[in-house]
Amino acid sequence: MNKQITLTINGEARAVEVGPTDILLDVLREKLGIKSPKIGCERGDCGACTVLLDGKSVRSCLILAIEADGHKITTLEGLSRNGLTPLQESFLKHSSFQCGFCAPGIVLSATELLAKHPHPSEEEIKESISGNLCRCTGYKPIIEAIAAVSNARRKSV
Amino acid sequence: MINIDSRTHVRGESIYVNDIPLREDTLFGVVFASPLAHGKVKSIDFSEALQIDGVEGIISVKDIKGENQIGGIIQDEELFADKTVDYIGMPIALVCAKTERIAKKAVSRIKIDIEELHPIVTAREAYAAKKFIVPSRTFKIGDTESEWKSCAHIIEGQAEMGGQEHVYLETQGAYAYLTEDDGIKIHSSTQATKYVQRAAAKVLGMPMHKIEVDVNRIGGGFGGKEDQGTPWACMAALAAQTLRKPVKLVLSRAEDIKMTGKRHPYSFDFKLGLSKDLKIVCYEVQCFQNAGACADVSPAVMERTLFHGTASYFVPNARITVHSCKTNIPPNTAFRGFGAPQGMFVLEAALMKAAVTLGVDMMEIQKKNLLSEGDRFPYDQEAKNCNARKCWDTAWKTFGVEKLKKEVADFNQKNDLFKKGVSLYPLCFGISFTKTSLNQGRSLVHIYSDGTVSITTGVVEMGQGVNTKILQAAAQTLSISTRRFTIHSTNTSRIANPSPTAASSGADLNGKATIMACQALLARLKGVACQELKAQDPGDIEIKDEVIYHKGRKTELTWARLVFLTEEARVSLSEHAHYATPIIHFNKAMEKGHPFAYHVYGTAVTVVTVDCLRGTYNVDLVKIIHDFGSSMNLDIDIGQVEGALLQGIGLMTIEELLIDQTGKLVYDDLSSYKVPDIYFTPRTLEVKPLDSKPDPLALLGSKAVGEPPLMYGIGTYFAILKAMREFNPQLKLELWAPMTHQKCLMSLYDNYGDLLK
Repeated sequence: MNKQITLTINGEARAVEVGPTDILLDVLREKLGIKSPKIGCERGDCGACTVLLDGKSVRSCLILAIEADGHKITTLEGLSRNGLTPLQESFLKHSSFQCGFCAPGIVLSATELLAKHPHPSEEEIKESISGNLCRCTGYKPIIEAIAAVSNARRKSV
Repeated sequence: MINIDSRTHVRGESIYVNDIPLREDTLFGVVFASPLAHGKVKSIDFSEALQIDGVEGIISVKDIKGENQIGGIIQDEELFADKTVDYIGMPIALVCAKTERIAKKAVSRIKIDIEELHPIVTAREAYAAKKFIVPSRTFKIGDTESEWKSCAHIIEGQAEMGGQEHVYLETQGAYAYLTEDDGIKIHSSTQATKYVQRAAAKVLGMPMHKIEVDVNRIGGGFGGKEDQGTPWACMAALAAQTLRKPVKLVLSRAEDIKMTGKRHPYSFDFKLGLSKDLKIVCYEVQCFQNAGACADVSPAVMERTLFHGTASYFVPNARITVHSCKTNIPPNTAFRGFGAPQGMFVLEAALMKAAVTLGVDMMEIQKKNLLSEGDRFPYDQEAKNCNARKCWDTAWKTFGVEKLKKEVADFNQKNDLFKKGVSLYPLCFGISFTKTSLNQGRSLVHIYSDGTVSITTGVVEMGQGVNTKILQAAAQTLSISTRRFTIHSTNTSRIANPSPTAASSGADLNGKATIMACQALLARLKGVACQELKAQDPGDIEIKDEVIYHKGRKTELTWARLVFLTEEARVSLSEHAHYATPIIHFNKAMEKGHPFAYHVYGTAVTVVTVDCLRGTYNVDLVKIIHDFGSSMNLDIDIGQVEGALLQGIGLMTIEELLIDQTGKLVYDDLSSYKVPDIYFTPRTLEVKPLDSKPDPLALLGSKAVGEPPLMYGIGTYFAILKAMREFNPQLKLELWAPMTHQKCLMSLYDNYGDLLK
């Protein structure tokens, strides 16, 4: 039996009809046309489908769409509405991504981290990205990009 | 310059096959595959599956209008299994339905009756049963037979190296639809548009010019989409042709891991002879390559194992043989390094065994045998601009290896349950496709009347930054702003017959073609400028930073104006250029020639700590001196080195391709098959460019970088093994890669009872 749910996606209220077993990732991609969350493994191993649910990073492949009813969802499309965030700029500057498939998940995981801890330690950075696989880079430029945002904030204070 | 592809990556706007907006009535395909590794198909019953609401058709061998054949090098690969199944995951049919979920449900309702046959799983089994993909090949130099007697030490042994799953984060996929007048367009996640186009033409019974293959970018390839993007593209195209609706087929991770081939597992028998002063005199190795059920690119992978059999060392007498063994696992395929890591690993394993047997430092043997200028490889090419020793010595000095060794020794003295190991790994990797005919690149450059430029080449962007390098080369040649450029998707209608994006050579081949196209355009533009400026000789005209100079003097004429005038003068602003690497050749009958444009060198220093209670380990430090030639983009190049290194470390440590006796992959998802995560990256990681010469055959002197650094991961294996021997000097030297935590733990306590006595 289908049900209409309402999601606030990237600040915009969207109503969508979903079935009881519809996965949030599929609903975002197929019914709402939001393509930045990627399908990498469909079982929570790779983190390519990471979105923010009320500010917390979740694997959208592990969540039923119906569970998200009434909640706020942020995807990478929503971050750069007013130009790139300093984090996105930093990822660009540090050549943090190669093929780019992991990027939507990693940018959101790091966004959550910096919202919680403006000046994370290297261990905290690693922990925040530990659920996101990248097969191209070796992770170093990802860690450096996140640390650079934190350092820049320190300087500007 | 930053990687131009990153601009859309960080916004989440990059488009992969699965993100292409769908056309009306698009169907979704799900593959029905063999559950058994070997057997005769007695019957298949689709009837129940076809009754499910939303299923629009099941495509199988009966729907093929052309040939059921997609083999590249050898025509031995069926698109759909017909009378026999040869591996678990071999495609048998494609269910097409209104949604993927319906198609999946229908797949589960297909009934198949297979008469099971005995599967052959390992290369050694296949060798015993004389099952080969192609005849075995041997590279020889000197005379091993007569020289064994002059060796002071002879070391013999066996080694094993497991395969590796690519885990490109974007799984295989394709989207195909009909175009007018019986054409078909295929969006494919492939590294080789030509292979897809050629195979689809054959399967669909259509001429190649009716099939357009387009690749915007791919979400990682690593070789896994060189030949193996093809089946899915052909299936989607065949289904679209048959059902006359658009068909999308994107594999799930589970399907991808099950159905696609991987890096080849190898088994080895080696024999190494050293002189009294530890010089390599003789080396013989038999390599048993586990090719899987059909050829794919295994004959070429085999060739690269032969080419790299002596690694970064000079071996005066060598005999390297590779047997390409046919087994009942998915057809193994290209993977960054392409047979070289296996050939290099076994020689390193032999050196390690020699060091242990003779009680000497492995580094001493390594250093004594490094390649020098003018040394000959077994395939007869001479080592030119040979940087093997320079990289070693620079790494030794720059990274303070003496001091590191002492620190490691001190640590091991003080600690019982944690042990450290330090290794050096010298790299030498040949650049060019070993099949000479593939060494050609193409580029199509259009200048538009507003002064902007578009480029299409034969190369596929998969994260390696090749489009950025091509753009840099074009901007530098035309001396205009990089902002004026767009690089378009790789498309068979714009670039015909491109070589696959592989062998680390995409930038060299297609970048050089781009420079040629730009130079031709530049000559025409200068001709027009010459007329406009009423000058005598176009040779006196120069374009610098978008301004036209005459005899070194700045003129009023700008790039944009000159382009406009050129168009007005009815002079072409478009150019297609073709580049073929000069010099290279290879005689397969003699197994001699000059197959490589140049070699890439480097040395990696690795320090690891093994937790000897748990069998776990950390990579403390990897410091690398790498020969980039003269890098045109260090950000991109160092990114390639770091990424390849981690993939290489994964190959040698935690990534285990375990196949059981029935031919089933034991670790078949990302929770059991582990690739390096962020915690696995070396604690300290430093990559320094060697002070090296630009190579004339490399793009702007900047040497190819995709594959070579993967081999630095070999150093991690030996650092771990050295640390383990510090804990248990009696441990049996098994020389089996990867050194998983489990294997590490078991080995540490092998013969441990004796140690306690």
